[in-house]
Amino acid sequence: MWDFGRLSIVAELIRDHIYLESIDEYCEKTGVRKKDFVPIEAQDFGGEIFAVDGSNAAVCNWSVANLNLIRAGFAVYRGREWQRTTITYDDVFLADPRICEDLFDPCLKAFFGLKGIDLKESDLDRLSTYFRELQEYIALNEAIIEARSGDIILYDGGFDVFEPLRSVLAVIFKRAEDKDVDLLAVSKSSTLFWGEGLTLPFLQHTSYAGSLFVPGVPWYLDLKDKRVEHGQGRWNGETYIARFAGSSERAFRVDAPSYVRDRIGSALGKLVAHSCSSECLGYPHALFRAHEDVRISGQECDLLRLRLMEMLGDMGMSEPHVRMLMQDFHDVLDMRQQI
Amino acid sequence: MVQEADLSAFRSKLGSEVEKALHDKKVIRKEDTTYRIISKSVTEYQFIVPFDLPDEQRVEVGQIFSIKDHDEARGRRLTFLARVLDIQHGSNYEGNWDTTMKGTQFFDHEQIFNRVFAGPLGCVNCDGSFRKSRTIPTKFSTVSRAERSEFKFLKQVMGDIEIGYLRNGSRLVEEIPVALHSDTIDHHMGVFATTGMGKSNFMKVFAASCMRLAVRGESKFGLLIVDPHGEYLNGKGSIKGLMHLKRYRDGLACYSTDRKNSQDPGVEELAISESEVRPEDIALLYEWSPPQRDALDAISRIFDGGNWLEEIQSPDGLARMMQEGFKDSTVNVLVRRIKNILEKNKYIQRRSSLANILASLQSGKVVLVDIPRMSDRSELFLLSVISRYIMEEYKKDEHEGRKNCLITIEEAQRVLGAGSNTSRFETIAREGRKFGVGLCAITQQPKLIDKQLLSQFNTLVVMGLGDRNDRIQLEESAKQDLSTLDIEIQTLEKGEAIVSTLKIPFPVPARIHRFEDYLRRLEKEDADDALISRGGFRPFLE
Repeated sequence: MWDFGRLSIVAELIRDHIYLESIDEYCEKTGVRKKDFVPIEAQDFGGEIFAVDGSNAAVCNWSVANLNLIRAGFAVYRGREWQRTTITYDDVFLADPRICEDLFDPCLKAFFGLKGIDLKESDLDRLSTYFRELQEYIALNEAIIEARSGDIILYDGGFDVFEPLRSVLAVIFKRAEDKDVDLLAVSKSSTLFWGEGLTLPFLQHTSYAGSLFVPGVPWYLDLKDKRVEHGQGRWNGETYIARFAGSSERAFRVDAPSYVRDRIGSALGKLVAHSCSSECLGYPHALFRAHEDVRISGQECDLLRLRLMEMLGDMGMSEPHVRMLMQDFHDVLDMRQQI
Repeated sequence: MVQEADLSAFRSKLGSEVEKALHDKKVIRKEDTTYRIISKSVTEYQFIVPFDLPDEQRVEVGQIFSIKDHDEARGRRLTFLARVLDIQHGSNYEGNWDTTMKGTQFFDHEQIFNRVFAGPLGCVNCDGSFRKSRTIPTKFSTVSRAERSEFKFLKQVMGDIEIGYLRNGSRLVEEIPVALHSDTIDHHMGVFATTGMGKSNFMKVFAASCMRLAVRGESKFGLLIVDPHGEYLNGKGSIKGLMHLKRYRDGLACYSTDRKNSQDPGVEELAISESEVRPEDIALLYEWSPPQRDALDAISRIFDGGNWLEEIQSPDGLARMMQEGFKDSTVNVLVRRIKNILEKNKYIQRRSSLANILASLQSGKVVLVDIPRMSDRSELFLLSVISRYIMEEYKKDEHEGRKNCLITIEEAQRVLGAGSNTSRFETIAREGRKFGVGLCAITQQPKLIDKQLLSQFNTLVVMGLGDRNDRIQLEESAKQDLSTLDIEIQTLEKGEAIVSTLKIPFPVPARIHRFEDYLRRLEKEDADDALISRGGFRPFLE
């Protein structure tokens, strides 16, 4: 039997802490004030916008073998016209700690001149996530190479990344600065929280506060000196919260390397002019398109899984054999067809 | 157990594979994904087109597209033809992203499109021969608007009675006239349209083509038109009539109940002899009680066949009916109604035009019976007398050179409706073909026509029907599949038609000639000129 009494307590917590009746406490605890919300003027922009994204889907989560399909690439727009989408990586990844060096090292060396990756025991569960991120950084690197001075390069995600790949980001920042491009990371989901005790969603509450303070216009908020944990000092840059369309209800976390700080208003203004599509209002359209083009469908994973089974069959393994050796018994109990 | 050496070899192999993959960059650029077959079956093709085409390039229901499945190296040379059945909005983006008004405009024009659903018509071989398609075009075969040259095969299957041009959506294909086949006309024909869609114009064009064939000695049937509205003979105002087609005037025989019209030397005053009227002709004019119907049935037994109309009205006639057991009140009703008929139908006289009408029909002419201002009942009565006479004569042995006959019935639902008491026309519909007599039923309510009778009609000219039940009735009775053309039939404009007939392999979209334009062209054409082979006339270019 469910304990509805406990559920009721959860509901009460949500009402008291997550639902904001007034923003006074939010302002007091975070240090955010009305004057911090800076309206963004849309700016004409004749250059290109590169939007980098990646995708990681499990082909099979067998107890003895985890195979993922990883894809990374970028979409390029000039104004409102899509130019091309480049897929820089599209392949399977066998997440096995014993061979991970062979997967990471060639990439780190070839693209960033770095030597090896230092993975701790706790990192080994996130191998495919790291590898996807690494492929996204390679896509970022490719975008920087193709970009011209003044272009914008967007990254779907944040720059406050896991320790093992921070050195890669440092190389990317340097190359972007040398190329004189505006590099920005736009995050759909955010782990920013405020308050003591129960963690409160900073992004959503900031968005709400922005609607009250500067309604109907795009704006941004610099998190410097605000009382919110956003990875200050862990990477060389600043974090902002931005709303790209006045009529949108959503705001996004924007990370920018420190060299962009002086021109962040201008860079966001260019994005605002390209976040007004009918397809996805209030989100930089190039990122929307990159997400669409890079996304891995369930059908693709199914196809790969079938192909793998065929190959195993050709190599003399019968389906019952594979099932016996590889299937997780949870899948049997839950009647999930993983093989 | 995996040996360390094996693992090392595997790692080395994996490393080189990863390096290879790193440089295997794929760039997707703008490419033409539209106008290519993307799905889906033998009975339906789908392709996408840009959603924002300029007006002159818009895709329309009814338009015919060609799908070129050509790959010489693989031995593929078929060109498929398909007609647009429906068009829907579509995009590659999932969900309901487009159900609210957002943003200022679309960014990804190539991801948003219109999906076109097309019904296959058939395929054309490299030698130009056409056949029904039992397969599907190869995926991504290119699709384009069918060119005029791709319709050439249709010329080979068209008949000799030109009625209009092939229509490709709203555009005319002037090189391809649409023409019915004379030798399928006795299989009955139906003309279906709501008011104002061009039925009368169609009939005049049809009749003009028949007149032309008659004069040229190429006619295969005589056409009888009974016109209760007085519009076919001389037209009205700026609208011309059949008499205006002077060049082929000899192909027309006119009869009129109107004194003024019959003063024209080319028009004979219509006369029906009393002896040619039968009790069953009277029967269809009124509702009769069972005793009255018995009395009607007995007339031909009691009286002399040739003089019964006069005899029954005399005291002696009344007495003879009463001797047969009929009440005087019953007989009096009969007599009173007969007197009314004779009073209202002054053309019932001693002399008769029927023999001449028959002769004209049998020689392949168009016979126009002009009965302006005649009541509905009188018209039915006259049509009954004439058609019975024709049917009886055609049942007799066929003499050499006799042409078939097509009898036109306006508002045909009156006589071919389920439960109507006009079995004469039903008999012609069911049996006429054996004797060379066909019906041309014109109606705006095909739903009221008996379904079994409708299924006897092998040529259908559908000119716009708003009523769904009318369309369903036709779709269920037609020899060719009209069900997929439902949207097109709904959207037909005045003068546009779908023609479904034997010998033409699919229902053909047509624009019927405007009679006045057709008339002008026919008057100008060279004596030896064959309209069909030359590709019709060009009224709109003159």
